[in-house]
Amino acid sequence: MALLDRAEWYDIARDTNWTPKYVTEDALFPEEQSGTLGLPLEVWESYDEPYKVTYREYVRTQREKDAGVYSVKAALQRANFLDQAEPGWVSILKLHYGAFATLEAMASSAESRMARFGKAGGLRNMATFGSLDENRHGQIQLYFPHEHVHRSRQFDWATKSMHTNEWAVVAARHLFDDIMAGRDAVGVALMLTFAFETGFSNLQFLGLAADAAQAGDISFSNLASSIQTDEARHAQIGGPAVKILIANGKKAEAQRLVDIAIWRAWTLFATVTGPSMDYYTPLDRREKSFKEFMQEWVFGQFERTLLDIGLERPWYWDTMLADLDTRHHGMHAGIWTFHKSVWWDVPPGISRAERAWLEEKYPGWEETWGAHFWDPIIARFLKDGPVDTVLPSMVQLCNMAQVPITGTPGWAPGKTGRPLQDFPLEHEGRLYHFGSEVDRWIFQQDPDRYKDHLSVADRMVAGMIQPPTLEGLLDYFSLKEGEQGEDALKHSWLEEYRQDQAQAA
Amino acid sequence: MSTKPEPLKPLRTWSHLAGRRRRPSEYEIVSTNLMYDAKNAESPFELGPNIPLSKWFKKYRHGSPLTGRDWEEFRDPAELTYRAYNILQDGQETYIEGLFDQHNELRYDAGLDTAWVDVLPRLYTPARYAFHTVQMASHYLVQIVPSSTIRNCATYQAADALRCVSHIAYRTAEVKKTYPDSGCGTAECAAWENDAAWQGFRALMEKVLIAYDWGESFVALNLVAKPAMDEALLRQLAATGRRQGDSLLGLIADTEYRDVQRSRTWSAALVRFAIERPENLAVVRGWIEKWLPVAEQAIDAYCRALPDSPEATTTATQAVHDFLRSLDLN
Repeated sequence: MALLDRAEWYDIARDTNWTPKYVTEDALFPEEQSGTLGLPLEVWESYDEPYKVTYREYVRTQREKDAGVYSVKAALQRANFLDQAEPGWVSILKLHYGAFATLEAMASSAESRMARFGKAGGLRNMATFGSLDENRHGQIQLYFPHEHVHRSRQFDWATKSMHTNEWAVVAARHLFDDIMAGRDAVGVALMLTFAFETGFSNLQFLGLAADAAQAGDISFSNLASSIQTDEARHAQIGGPAVKILIANGKKAEAQRLVDIAIWRAWTLFATVTGPSMDYYTPLDRREKSFKEFMQEWVFGQFERTLLDIGLERPWYWDTMLADLDTRHHGMHAGIWTFHKSVWWDVPPGISRAERAWLEEKYPGWEETWGAHFWDPIIARFLKDGPVDTVLPSMVQLCNMAQVPITGTPGWAPGKTGRPLQDFPLEHEGRLYHFGSEVDRWIFQQDPDRYKDHLSVADRMVAGMIQPPTLEGLLDYFSLKEGEQGEDALKHSWLEEYRQDQAQAA
Repeated sequence: MSTKPEPLKPLRTWSHLAGRRRRPSEYEIVSTNLMYDAKNAESPFELGPNIPLSKWFKKYRHGSPLTGRDWEEFRDPAELTYRAYNILQDGQETYIEGLFDQHNELRYDAGLDTAWVDVLPRLYTPARYAFHTVQMASHYLVQIVPSSTIRNCATYQAADALRCVSHIAYRTAEVKKTYPDSGCGTAECAAWENDAAWQGFRALMEKVLIAYDWGESFVALNLVAKPAMDEALLRQLAATGRRQGDSLLGLIADTEYRDVQRSRTWSAALVRFAIERPENLAVVRGWIEKWLPVAEQAIDAYCRALPDSPEATTTATQAVHDFLRSLDLN
């Protein structure tokens, strides 16, 4: 072969900055789109992406990746895995596709913001591939669930969800609009690629891929791990941008953006990924607990990445560590209780064996979540028969995370977890509620950014949801019968407790 | 007496496609109805109507005079999906790789005419800046257009522009190996910023890049500026190269021109779709009238510099006019 090595010409392809003459630099890179904090073009010349790929390499590699993933899917399609899959796994798929497919397509726009308004040629080229990647992730995560639409109307939420005001969708949109769709290019680089994708997306994709392989869903396992190979590449767009900000006296600003994004990502993952891993995944297929995944990838690997690049641990690190024992258990309890408000069927995940696992992974779970949340429900169901429990009235939602404010039931000093606590803030005459001091701190960093938003609870109070009844609320969520979640086991799990009760008697 | 509504039944496709009386294609399944922020004109993002980018999108997307269509109904005539794009371009890049390989083995560059080698760092290798501006402007379309089906087309167009940049960078490095003092690899930025041949395209593209209204951005880039640049750089420069004994330049440009044709096909389809609302016709024509003279100046400044190519300006300009005429805007 008489071809040049990549290194012989790569730098030329990213040497594309020029000095604008016929328009101003500020017009070409307006701050609301670029977000470069006043750092001019020449400062960005030192941007050096660690993962280098060329157009030629990209289209070849991606063609090969797609050929692999799509052919496995085609080969396994007739096996109809989903027809025999355990209910918890089916729920995970519905939740995953509904939560992420459209958002990933949206992420291609955010990558394109970097590719247009980033001030470094290398960044713009990498974001060009990033935009293509997210185009892929949107498409492939619609192609796969489309196969299942005939099984349940809930799979329709892969395309429908983001067009609705369902509460979990509002929460996801609020987060991703904050860190990507509604952020400038530097904000996207730091918050989406560096914080979210480096820190968290492997949790969703590699964690779920591991669980999927265990659950026998080879098709999904392949899909998720293939997506993660793209994420691992374009997640590296943010790191060099962080370095440039630090080198030019903007460390505090970089730290602030990263701190906001990590906490916001945490609250979303505790809502969707935590329950998936610790309650939905069939017990004998669980690779690790959500807490163990978090400890390994976020508190282990990502913490090292943060420090290596020259940033500090977020100031709330200990608060987040403690939250590992509370938040997602609360989210799960709430979602199961109000399962009509989501587009997937919710497994309770509290058989005796599952509870033993939870107690092992989360010491103290039994005397808090077990004794104070689940046991009273079980006792009531055994006495009166199971009912479609729904929350008696709208719970208090956090004005940042947009999810219910939670605490550990039965918590007392010395026990794991934390009490139920609102962290209120009055701003310009309006009272806001937050689920943690961190959520409140985020609001205070840029009140103008957040102050006009109404949580679903605020909308209920403001009379925007009519009629103000359960039916009115579900209608506002665009959840009709056939889409609304049910108890994924149709309360068959009660039988074990009924037998226990009979034996005790 | 109220009756409980029937539970929704599973469908055979997405609910938003279910009303159509035919099976959806893979393209429709994976490409349509994905842009949630385009639906809410008052507050595109969940954060409220007053954040800086909400104001930007309200002004430049929802406030565009190009309006009144359900843009999600637009379809790419090529029905190109991501995986098809990579299959297509991997094939084209395999071909390009073969060209590079064979020409290198034959010591192609050593046989170039020295007068032509002097032309390359002035009129060819600086083109990476020009195509990079197309890459940037296409990425602006990706984020600002009002539907996921248009967004897809722009995404692939942006990548196509990087493809051109990459070919030029490769050839810049390769020619430099044979002619280290030619200016290839060193003289490009100065040429782009100072050479009279480039100032038309530079001025055009700097201005296109700040045409932030989505409709104007699309018309200025896809109907005028990009066709002008493609005709000058992929057609007239390549033709000049062939006459000067540089056939490789033309062979590369020919495969890049296939991407150009794809861009023009969807652009023409989008124009047809837009002017189904008659009021949009004058809007599109107005923008073309605004941008065409700037593009014609750019073509002329560049093509006049091409050696021994007296018809280049006329031919390139005519080709742009032919494309615009094919849109049937009269």
